[in-house]
Amino acid sequence: MIRVENAAFRFREDWVFRGVNFTLERGQTAAILGPNGRGKTTLLKSIVGLLKLAEGRVETHGRIGYVAQKNDMSFSYRVLDIVVMGRAAHVGMFRTPGIEDYQIARLTLDRLGIGGFADRIYTQLSGGERQLVMIARALASECEILILDEPTSALDFSNQALILGILGRIVSEDGLTVLMTTHVPQHAQHLADTVLLMHGPERQDWGLAHEMLTEARLEALYGVPVKALEVENHGRTETALVPLFS
Amino acid sequence: MKSLAFAAALASAASWAIADPISFEDQRERTVTLDGEAERVVTIPIPAASMFIAVDGGTDRLVGMHQLSKTAIKGRILERFYPDALAIPSNITGKGFSFVPNVEELLALEPDLVFQWGHLNDDIIDPLVNAGLNVALIKIGQEAFTRKWLTIMGEVTGKPEKAKAMIDWRDDVMAELQAATAGIAEGDRPRTLYFMNYLSSLRVAGGKSYNNFYIDLAGGKNVASELGMFVEVGIEQIISWDPEVILLNGFEAKLSPKDVYDNPLLADVSAVKSRRVYKMPLGGYRWDPPNQESPLTWLWLSMVLHPDKFNWDMADRINRNYEFIYGQSVDADDVRNILRFDMNADAANYDIFADG
Amino acid sequence: MSLVDETSTPAAKRRLGLWTTLLSLLAASVLFSLGIGRFGVSVSNVVSILLGNVLPLEPTWQPVEERVVELIRMPRILIAGLAGAGLAVAGAALQGVFRNPLVGPQIIGVSSGAAFGGAFAILVSESQVLLIGFAFGFGMLAMLVVYGISRQQGRASILMLVLAGIVTSAFFSALVSITKFVADPDDKLPAIVFWLMGSFASASYDKALLIGLPVALGSLVVYLMRFQINVLSLGDEEAQSLGLKVERTRWIVLIAVALISAAVVAAAGIVGWVGLVIPHFARMLTGPDHKVLIPAAALIGAIYLIHVDNVARASIAAEIPVGIITALLGAPVFAYLLRRAANKGWSSE
Repeated sequence: MIRVENAAFRFREDWVFRGVNFTLERGQTAAILGPNGRGKTTLLKSIVGLLKLAEGRVETHGRIGYVAQKNDMSFSYRVLDIVVMGRAAHVGMFRTPGIEDYQIARLTLDRLGIGGFADRIYTQLSGGERQLVMIARALASECEILILDEPTSALDFSNQALILGILGRIVSEDGLTVLMTTHVPQHAQHLADTVLLMHGPERQDWGLAHEMLTEARLEALYGVPVKALEVENHGRTETALVPLFS
Repeated sequence: MKSLAFAAALASAASWAIADPISFEDQRERTVTLDGEAERVVTIPIPAASMFIAVDGGTDRLVGMHQLSKTAIKGRILERFYPDALAIPSNITGKGFSFVPNVEELLALEPDLVFQWGHLNDDIIDPLVNAGLNVALIKIGQEAFTRKWLTIMGEVTGKPEKAKAMIDWRDDVMAELQAATAGIAEGDRPRTLYFMNYLSSLRVAGGKSYNNFYIDLAGGKNVASELGMFVEVGIEQIISWDPEVILLNGFEAKLSPKDVYDNPLLADVSAVKSRRVYKMPLGGYRWDPPNQESPLTWLWLSMVLHPDKFNWDMADRINRNYEFIYGQSVDADDVRNILRFDMNADAANYDIFADG
Repeated sequence: MSLVDETSTPAAKRRLGLWTTLLSLLAASVLFSLGIGRFGVSVSNVVSILLGNVLPLEPTWQPVEERVVELIRMPRILIAGLAGAGLAVAGAALQGVFRNPLVGPQIIGVSSGAAFGGAFAILVSESQVLLIGFAFGFGMLAMLVVYGISRQQGRASILMLVLAGIVTSAFFSALVSITKFVADPDDKLPAIVFWLMGSFASASYDKALLIGLPVALGSLVVYLMRFQINVLSLGDEEAQSLGLKVERTRWIVLIAVALISAAVVAAAGIVGWVGLVIPHFARMLTGPDHKVLIPAAALIGAIYLIHVDNVARASIAAEIPVGIITALLGAPVFAYLLRRAANKGWSSE
């Protein structure tokens, strides 16, 4: 469960956001949408505890796994070593991960279908593969809340599909509470129960995904016309939200 | 006889007090010209201060000296001979073995001649020259260099006779010793090592040092002659050289043969086993670098190296020459002080210096 | 999938080979170094002298040979090895903690702080224990100052840290100069100058113990923290989000590093470049995992400095200052490693 009450963040004199309120129930998934610079990443980091809010408070229940947007690394670690770092919270000071921790790390890799990556060098992986490793590391921490910052950005369509598929599966299997940011309304549509639209410092809309992801609201959010198209997908009718560029 | 002639020379020098310009060549082949005799002299090379006092026969014309020149005077015999020497300013350079002149302090002394080292870098010379001072550059390392110091000092003080007498004395003793030691076979020359530093690091005198010259002259063999001037070495190198005689510098005031005897790592060295470690004497100046009393150093060292061959009457030699150099006499206690009986009394054969 | 542990993987087998190689190299280096020096001792006598310690051998060697091998060479090799290992461990830990290849004990101010502490100790006393104590105290103080300057809003950016290190080092260097200026030129000044230059020439077992204890303790702490250093090397935010106590972890590592650096500085003066170059070199062999990197760096550092000191003590009659050799070797090698690393995208931050 994540509860955000009256959250506000200030950069020097300017409010990045103010009066953010929402409650994400256990096992629910929420997506945050909004133009660049509206404080989406800042809000996520505040919830994770990396940044301090100027006002308001955040309440979370359960361990948080965090997948940051940036996934490059100074040192070329082996994938297994990276995933096992997800166990940091379970390993005491002056201690090292034990056999059990390595088992959990390997199991997590297997679950994500990348068991063969264990001995590969992280910095030699592709963007999609890196994203999977980062998700594996978060999951290896045995988190109850998963917070992802644009998990699909900079990925091609097939990798986007891969990540979305895996996230959907894991979330339902583990009953995780998920909060993610994205620039692709369809990804939100695909995964999220609820959506937060960050319009500007003083205006945020929180509501059910199908109420928030409408032509009018998205157009108001981005200032770009958006069309909702009915499309056939494997015998089901879906709504595709398409931005129109002049 | 000698001193009579010398007195006459002194008298005549005094009567020409206002004289023609004096011109001489220093040890960097620069011509230095003074309006007349130097009346206000500053010496930066450490041994030059006491040498100048010796040549001039007093401290009146020395207006500045190196800090380490003064430490060789303070508490030692030169302080008794020339108590005024301690009042001469010595804040004209950086600390320690620094020869970087403090030009403003120097200018305030209004010197008409400054002695400076010529074999180090020019950065210690240029500021003096640029300040318009007369600078005489002198070098160290060979006996001939030291004689030239005396010659220059004799010229600028108008006492060339005194300087010449001091050089003649060096010639005499050198010839005397050379005759006596030339025949000593290579194998009979004790392996000798001079420590320029011992307490903090081990720095020894190599083949280009002045020490090398007089070790040779006195009938020894410098084990470090393959090295340059003063060089850092490891303890193992010293064991490998296995010196039979070790000479300790006069600069490290607290250094005594006991420090060497007590070093377990040097226990196997011949000089330690036979207790032939000696502190260099300190008379009118430290006897290790070139100085106005160098012939006494040579004689003393020849006895240290060959106690069976040589038995000069050191007390007499010191007395006679102090009379000639400083016009002063010393007693038996002074001699013991000069020869560092405080530190050397227990060393092998040192009793040959006791009954004099 | 293996449920056992990591010892059966090819990487682990490769690692076993690495340890065997490094340990044999170290043993060979020590033996070789015992056999060389300005004083001639035959190899057979060196071996006999060593065996004579454990076996009741009839001495076939001169007492002086035994003294040279056991009282002069052995402690010197020990100290050089300890210093090399310590500096390499300290460098590896710092590079991990600050995710920066340009970081070494010298850069974050520890060395210059320790140098001042040591110089000051020489000025006021002749005690070796005081020297190491002051070196540690001021090494820590310098690091505190660096940390204090670079901390903004509760965290220290790496750039600020390095810049603060430069400022602090400059300040403590000035204090060293003042110490030299007021030191008695007859005995204290040459002692300080010689000590600062860095040399193993005055090695003894007492000194080896004096440096060995802090180096061992500091290295042990660093090694125990190997996993935490791994996590910290991901960056503060990631480490914190993974549940690591970032500040506390960093402080524990920094204190251990200060302890090691101070001991090395106290025993041998400032020996530069080892803490920068050796961890790099080790990382090329082992990869970045500090579990392997730290012991490998320690072994390589020990081997390296033992041989550097061999050159310093045995190549010519004069002693060559160790710091000169490490700089001559270290700077170009480091430049080469840096370029290599840059090509691989190492320097992304």
